[in-house]
Amino acid sequence: MTPSTYTPAPERRFNVGDRVRVKNANPPGHRRTPAYIRGKQGEIERVCGRFPNPEELAYGFDGEPRRVLYRVQFKQREVWGSYAGSNHDLIEVEIYEHWLEPA
Amino acid sequence: MSHAHPHDPAKDDGPPSEHEILSRAIQELLEEKGLLTAEQVRKRMELFDAEFPQRGSRVIAHAWANPAFRKRLLADGKAACAEWGLDLEADRLIAVENTPRVHNVIVCTLCSCYPRALLGMPPTWYKSENYRRRVVREPRAVLREFGTVIPDEVSIRVHDSNADMRYVVVPMRPKGTEGWDEEQLASILTRDTLVGVALPKV
Amino acid sequence: MSPNPADIGGQAAGPIDTVDHGMKFWEKQANALRNTLTSRKLVRLDELRRAAEDLGDRYYRLGYFERTTEAMRNLLLEKGLFTRGELDGKIEEVRKRYDS
Repeated sequence: MTPSTYTPAPERRFNVGDRVRVKNANPPGHRRTPAYIRGKQGEIERVCGRFPNPEELAYGFDGEPRRVLYRVQFKQREVWGSYAGSNHDLIEVEIYEHWLEPA
Repeated sequence: MSHAHPHDPAKDDGPPSEHEILSRAIQELLEEKGLLTAEQVRKRMELFDAEFPQRGSRVIAHAWANPAFRKRLLADGKAACAEWGLDLEADRLIAVENTPRVHNVIVCTLCSCYPRALLGMPPTWYKSENYRRRVVREPRAVLREFGTVIPDEVSIRVHDSNADMRYVVVPMRPKGTEGWDEEQLASILTRDTLVGVALPKV
Repeated sequence: MSPNPADIGGQAAGPIDTVDHGMKFWEKQANALRNTLTSRKLVRLDELRRAAEDLGDRYYRLGYFERTTEAMRNLLLEKGLFTRGELDGKIEEVRKRYDS
C-alpha cells in the first residue's frame, strides 16, 4: 500500500524508511511536537506534504515558507521506560522536518 | 412554532453558566459588527448535528462492500470521499485499516483534533485529559476500560493526530455479515469502532 | 517537562469516563461559532489552540468548552475584533435577558 501524500514535497530532506531522531529541544511557545516523543528515534512512515508552519500561524504570521510534515513510526517499547503492552506495539506521530535529524 | 429570541437557551439545559453567557455575548457582538451572521452559525450547527455524524459509518460500510473504493480510501482518504460526493472541508483524512495483525486507535494528545467533517463532534471521552494522557502510553489498558481486549499477538498502533492529518479506522469486517447491504453494515460501524476503542459487533 | 499545559501525552492519570456525555445546546452553538470564525478566516485554528495553551494553569481548571470559549475571548480581544468594554457591556445585556 502506497502511503498517501497530500501535497508534493520534492525538496524534502527525508524519505519513507529513513531512520530519524526527534530533537530533544524544549522551546517555549506553540509547538506541535509532543514532549513524550522528543529525543526518540523512529522511522519515516510517510511524507504528508508541505504545510504552513503551525508554530508561526499560532501567532498570526503566515507560516511561510511551508515545512515538510512526516508521519514517523516508533516502537512503543523504545518510547516509554516500562511499556506494558506487546513488544510489537507502535505509535505514529506527525513531526515537522525541522524537528528531525538523521538517526 | 414560537418565535423566541434566536439566542434563548433550550429549556432543558438549566440556567446559563458564565461561559454560556460569554459565548453568546461574543457571538452577538460579532454579528453586530457584521463579521458573521446568526444564520451562518446555525447552518454550521446543523451540519455538525445532522450531516457529519452520518458520514463515517456510510463511508466505511462502502469500503467494506467495495474493494476498489477501499483501496482508494486507504491511498487518499480525502480524495476517495470527494469522489463519492463527500466534501471533508479542512480534514486531510488518513484511513488506517485493522488487520488480523494490527489494531489501530486514534487520539489527539495536544487538543482534540478529530475528523469532524466525517464523524461529527468527538465524544467527551476523546477530549478528556485522561484519554489524551493515557492512550499513547498504555493503549491496551485504556481499551480494556472500553471493554475491548486486543490479544497480545495483534499489535496496537496508536495514531496521535498532533498536526495536520486526521484519522479514521477501517475495522475488520466481522464474520456473520456476508450478504449484508451497506445500510446493515453501517449499522454496526459505530463511532467508537471508527476511533478504535471498540470492535464492530454482529 | 513541557511548559505547554496541553502537552499531556504520556502523563499518569486515572480512569477514563468512557460514557459520551454529548453536548448542551450552548456548547453546540459555541462549537459552530468557533467553526464559523475559522472557516471565515477571522481566526486560525492554530491561534485558538495557542490561546488555549496561554491559559496556563487555568487550562486544567476548565471544562473543554469553557476553555475554548475563554481562549476565543482572549484571542478576539488580542486581535482587536472587539474591546473589553464592548464585551463587558454585551455580557451584561445577555445576562439581563436570561434573568428576565
